[in-house]
Amino acid sequence: MRRFLLARLARAVPAAWGIISIIFLLSRSLSATQTVSEELQSSIAGHTATPKQIRTTERLIRRRLGLDLPLFYVTPAAQSTSGALAWRWQWQGFQNQYHRWLLGVLRGDLGYSFRDGRPVTTQLRLALGATLPLTAAAFLVTSVLARWLTLFLANHRGLRTALLSALHVLHALPLFVIALLLLLLLANPDALSWFPAYGLADFGDNTSWSIQVLQYLHHLALPLFSLVLVSLPSLVVQLDYALARELQADYVVTARAKGLPQRLVVRHHALRNALLPAITYLTDLLPALVAGAVVVELIFALPGMGRLLAEAAAARDFPILLGAVLLIAGTRLGAQILADWLYYQADPRIRLEV
Amino acid sequence: MKHLVLGILAVMSGAFCACSSRQEVNKSAIRIRWERDPENLDPLVLPNENALEAANLLYSSLLSVDPSKQQFTPCLAEALPTVEQTDSLTLLTYRIRPEAVWDNGQPVLAQDVAFTLKVMNCPGLPTESNQAQWGFIRDIRLDSTDSRRFTLVCSGRSPEYAWSSGDYIILPEYPLDPKGQLRPFSLTALRADTAADQHHAAIGAFVRRYKQAQLDHHPERLPGCGPYTLEAWETNRFISFKRKPKWWADQLRSELLPLQAHPAKLNYQIIPDAATAVLALRRGDLEVYPGMPAKEFQRLRQDKDNGATLQFYTADSYKMITACFNIRRPALQDKMTRQALSHLFNVPALIQATQQGLAFPSVGLIRPNSGPGYNDSLPLPTYDPNTALALLQKAGWQRQTDGGWLRRAATGAPERLRLTISYRTTDPAFETIALQLRSAAAQLGIPVQPQPLESSLFREKLRAGTVDMYLFTITGNPFVYNFAPILHTKSIGTGNHTGFGTAASDQLIEAIAAEKQEARQVQLLRRFQRLLHDEKPLTVLFFLRSRVAASAQLTNLQVTGLRPGYMATAIQAKPAAQ
Repeated sequence: MRRFLLARLARAVPAAWGIISIIFLLSRSLSATQTVSEELQSSIAGHTATPKQIRTTERLIRRRLGLDLPLFYVTPAAQSTSGALAWRWQWQGFQNQYHRWLLGVLRGDLGYSFRDGRPVTTQLRLALGATLPLTAAAFLVTSVLARWLTLFLANHRGLRTALLSALHVLHALPLFVIALLLLLLLANPDALSWFPAYGLADFGDNTSWSIQVLQYLHHLALPLFSLVLVSLPSLVVQLDYALARELQADYVVTARAKGLPQRLVVRHHALRNALLPAITYLTDLLPALVAGAVVVELIFALPGMGRLLAEAAAARDFPILLGAVLLIAGTRLGAQILADWLYYQADPRIRLEV
Repeated sequence: MKHLVLGILAVMSGAFCACSSRQEVNKSAIRIRWERDPENLDPLVLPNENALEAANLLYSSLLSVDPSKQQFTPCLAEALPTVEQTDSLTLLTYRIRPEAVWDNGQPVLAQDVAFTLKVMNCPGLPTESNQAQWGFIRDIRLDSTDSRRFTLVCSGRSPEYAWSSGDYIILPEYPLDPKGQLRPFSLTALRADTAADQHHAAIGAFVRRYKQAQLDHHPERLPGCGPYTLEAWETNRFISFKRKPKWWADQLRSELLPLQAHPAKLNYQIIPDAATAVLALRRGDLEVYPGMPAKEFQRLRQDKDNGATLQFYTADSYKMITACFNIRRPALQDKMTRQALSHLFNVPALIQATQQGLAFPSVGLIRPNSGPGYNDSLPLPTYDPNTALALLQKAGWQRQTDGGWLRRAATGAPERLRLTISYRTTDPAFETIALQLRSAAAQLGIPVQPQPLESSLFREKLRAGTVDMYLFTITGNPFVYNFAPILHTKSIGTGNHTGFGTAASDQLIEAIAAEKQEARQVQLLRRFQRLLHDEKPLTVLFFLRSRVAASAQLTNLQVTGLRPGYMATAIQAKPAAQ
């Protein structure tokens, strides 16, 4: 087992490094002029800097952020050869943006946000703290509900077609439509105003912990429903298909022939084997737990990883962007290793190959 | 299953009770919607409008804008500065009000202003933008006989110095530099030595201390002399402010709005999605929604059910949407082609389609109700394909058998009239405008390709000059007319993306910015509008109206065309009888 894990890590770490290096080089090759306030440039309101001052400001900001350094160890540079311009690779030494960033990552320092100057690790920690309770709860509720619905479908064959059709319709709806529909149905003074429209609970000084928990759950209900409704259909359909196939296997016929009740046959024999394909699906959801759900976070005004990533991308806040991508890429590779291990645990006949 | 249902019911019933208690918690606060977090409250950084609004609650400036008067009024300063001009310098003398004190009771002194200017110019701090904006202040001279009086030495001359020299937050020296380590260094010396933090141990120590204070997320560590203190801030959720029980300006009983602060608490709720924010306003979770999208604003206003609970305000703003031409592109180099294309914008229809009628056209960059400076002798932009056709022919374009347009360039090479119109994806209005132009141009056989771009890519292309036409938002104000950042030749490559500019236009721009006499400035402004009307480096499609929706229980929002469109500190609850 240890050999397997070490071998997978030996493959996963270079893959993560490769992904993140490519993203680093691609993102940083874009301009970061947005770091200079637009106010300096698109106003006729007076009180503005001269063009020369704006250029100086840009230069100083780029220097402060380390964007004035060469991007990589080698960069293309135009050279004049016999009257014509030609591109040549030029060695830039170790004083380059990539080298600095890589050394920082190896030391556990992901740098500072361009926008607010806070350490990236702090930003990621705060965002994860807001995201994980929601996404993890959605993950758990989806898993439990999917198991229950699959068993329900297996035991109520007459409802199967109608329920599966409904699930397919739900699966066709994008997340933002589901979230807005829930909002307009359940947080609308013109319809039902059962849930808050946005945000998390604000606690007064004298609020007891039980009320705080209830308030928290009350505020998370609609975002949670949205995430559950969007991921539940595909999982149930997949499990139902796998279960239907297992129910036709010989060992199920044998179990029935031994006189086991249908309920036990399904629960203790068929379902265990039917869960195998779901392992891949569920472990695939793990990176999403970390990455957050940008649509839900925007619609319900929740802080979290999705919003942090989206805003960092829009503002070209490279350190935040890279830190978040590094985290998500790491989780993705970890999830793949976990999926292999779970397969092995679920079915010992599967061999872990290094 | 039964347990599950019972559990859900218990959670929901408890949650409903919890929800009602939440209303109690926030009862005294005025809740205002913000689309984004202020991100950074370091008074010398302030990266966005929300940060600026928040900082103005915590700190004070020498001068502040009074939206009711639409002019700068004294705040920390006793009066507007006295102006004295020498050959190459402008000397502005201020005196700070004797009533102005910091939170610890110490008076605000000229030494604090000197300290602020030094921090702005202190190498090693992220204050590059301040250095550019207030780079005209070369030095400060303190009055040895009066600790509240000082003179700012400004390079050159400009009427705007009278107010821009006082439009920045004043920092207290006592918590940041208790030993006065920056005092021995003059402002001029700090500006000259860009590595002073490495050359002088005292400056290096100050920079480290300033950074360690982490004022960006802990403004409570820096006492201000504004009317509010920070109560709580949760990034991307809310930020709330509490009124100081005793604020120095209370004793003035001034009628100036910047010297008043009514709400006991201000709570800004960060809600990025407009639909959610509308719902929150209607539910009573918000009291004020500034900058509501025009469509929602009109829909709510026309719904009679909202009449009792909400009220709706509009004001003419100084923000305009313009269609600009990159005159460095061969096809757009002659003014007749630009004039022709300007006739293809159907401005009244666009105002209706994009702003639901909440906008107004203008002949140029001056707002129509700005007084005599607006050149009302010029015609408003008209949708006129026939005139456009005639102008294209006059510009040398010839209609081809395939319906397109062709002309010979100066080099003799054939040139086709085929354009792109670039815009940011952030505002759906831009897309509507681009599609309307494409449709109108297609009827004349001119292919126009809309090019929606992500914000930073759009800016990059503008600066590189690789766009043909583009849609752009420009913001003005009623205090000064300075067209240099967007139309002076020296700004090509920074803010002048049209590439327009001649010696005559540069001279006119400089004359307008430098002119002190109103009558003379009016003449120059009218001349400049005519010049732009003829040359058409850009065409102003319309000015926007500020839109604010608020609870009917509130009054005195002071809705104006100046950003942010209302004045939070002026808001009051309506008397019960109303």
